[in-house]
Amino acid sequence: MTAAWTPVALARDLPRLGVMPVCVDGIDVALWRSASGRLAAWADRCPHRGMRLSHGFVRGEALSCIYHGWSYGASGSCLRIPAHPDLEPPEAIRVPVHRATENNGVIWVALGDQDNTPPALTGLVPLRSVTVQARAEVIRSASGLAIGADGIARGHLASIAVAVLMQALPEGATVLHVLAEPADPAALIAASRAVEALRRAAESKGAA
Amino acid sequence: MSGDPILDEWYPVALVSQLGPLGRDTRLLGQPIRVYWGTDHQPQVSDANGRALPVTCRYGHVWTCPGTPSRPLFDIPEADQPGRRLVDVGVVRVKCSPLRAVENFLDIAHFPFVHTDILGAEPHTEVGRYDVQIRDEVDEVWATKVQFYQPQAAKSAAGGITTEYMYRVPAPTVAVLYKTCPPRPGEWDVITLFVQPLEQDLCEVWPWMALFDDTTSLTDLIHFQQTIFVQDRSILENQLPRLLPLDPGMEIPTRADMTSIAYRRWLKRRGYSFGAQLVAA
Repeated sequence: MTAAWTPVALARDLPRLGVMPVCVDGIDVALWRSASGRLAAWADRCPHRGMRLSHGFVRGEALSCIYHGWSYGASGSCLRIPAHPDLEPPEAIRVPVHRATENNGVIWVALGDQDNTPPALTGLVPLRSVTVQARAEVIRSASGLAIGADGIARGHLASIAVAVLMQALPEGATVLHVLAEPADPAALIAASRAVEALRRAAESKGAA
Repeated sequence: MSGDPILDEWYPVALVSQLGPLGRDTRLLGQPIRVYWGTDHQPQVSDANGRALPVTCRYGHVWTCPGTPSRPLFDIPEADQPGRRLVDVGVVRVKCSPLRAVENFLDIAHFPFVHTDILGAEPHTEVGRYDVQIRDEVDEVWATKVQFYQPQAAKSAAGGITTEYMYRVPAPTVAVLYKTCPPRPGEWDVITLFVQPLEQDLCEVWPWMALFDDTTSLTDLIHFQQTIFVQDRSILENQLPRLLPLDPGMEIPTRADMTSIAYRRWLKRRGYSFGAQLVAA
């Protein structure tokens, strides 16, 4: 069974008024956060001319396309077409909306309707995200981390307890979102370097 | 005689002024071609089998046709008008459908957002009604009475003005823009987009200009156009799908997109499908 929720970013890496492209099960998603802090995950394509919305800009509670400035509100429906300022945009102009939630410093996205919630990661703090040019199974075997009942890889890196969330990208790459037990800065830096070493090990193993 | 509407068009493949002694190996419609100086000191073009293709040199560029030309190269009478500066801008390679590059050139609604503070600026975003026709007698798309407020319409413009435009599509991968000429009211500056289709999703764009502007340096004129086209490239390389949808369903046009609607309809009518997506996905 595939995981219903995909980890896509550490919450601190998406500030208010920020927008970024992420990938969920091979689908391009524009992830953004409004001025009030509301999180949204939308199809990464403006219905007007197909421009990626992840190149767009956030004002207030709306995301606008960078091409012609069409802006879309919380429900994904079009609020404004700047070329026709007096026009009430038809209800049919709408960006497909996915579910997004934030949990223990991690942003998760689900493409379908999900009643459940992402796995709990209490007692951990966000460490870093890193993209690895290797598949998840290669990374797991290179890391020596154990997969728990909740599907999350856990173990130790540089003597710090960590949980590693894996997000598959197209063409065999994987994003690792790493959380660690609270520790002093020097220990967290050591853990961060261990993540780098894991990346190099997995990439050389995958290439071999 | 090919009878293929794609092969029988003229395409730009080089700048005459920049064709060096070694010639230019390039691609056209997915096939390799070679542009080089012939023994008669005229540019020549040959395909992968060494077959000589028809050549016309006009508007600063070398044009060729991989099939049998269905008509002569389109005419831009202003190119021969005394007093104009003819500007070879150069080439910009863009990872997009050649048809998307042309369509973007026909679009004004993006000016405030993509060419901010140059060709447009908020809150001046409204696109008024304009006229669009497919002129059957010449088989070209024309948009006229297009007006837009511009902070700096041209290198020669001192401040914001409402610029009037006309757009013309004389061939599937060519667009010609006629634009209010700040130093010479009553005349039109001519700015063209000549697009060389390398592949269905890769093209080289050759802008060319015929301007009334005796003061701006050539370097500044070229920089101005290159700035604009590099801004456009950031859009063109991020549109999905990569090919231009000719059928409705995939994209949502509005009244500001009337030129684009006519261009797509005209392409479909003539069976021009290189760089196009014909079935709504």
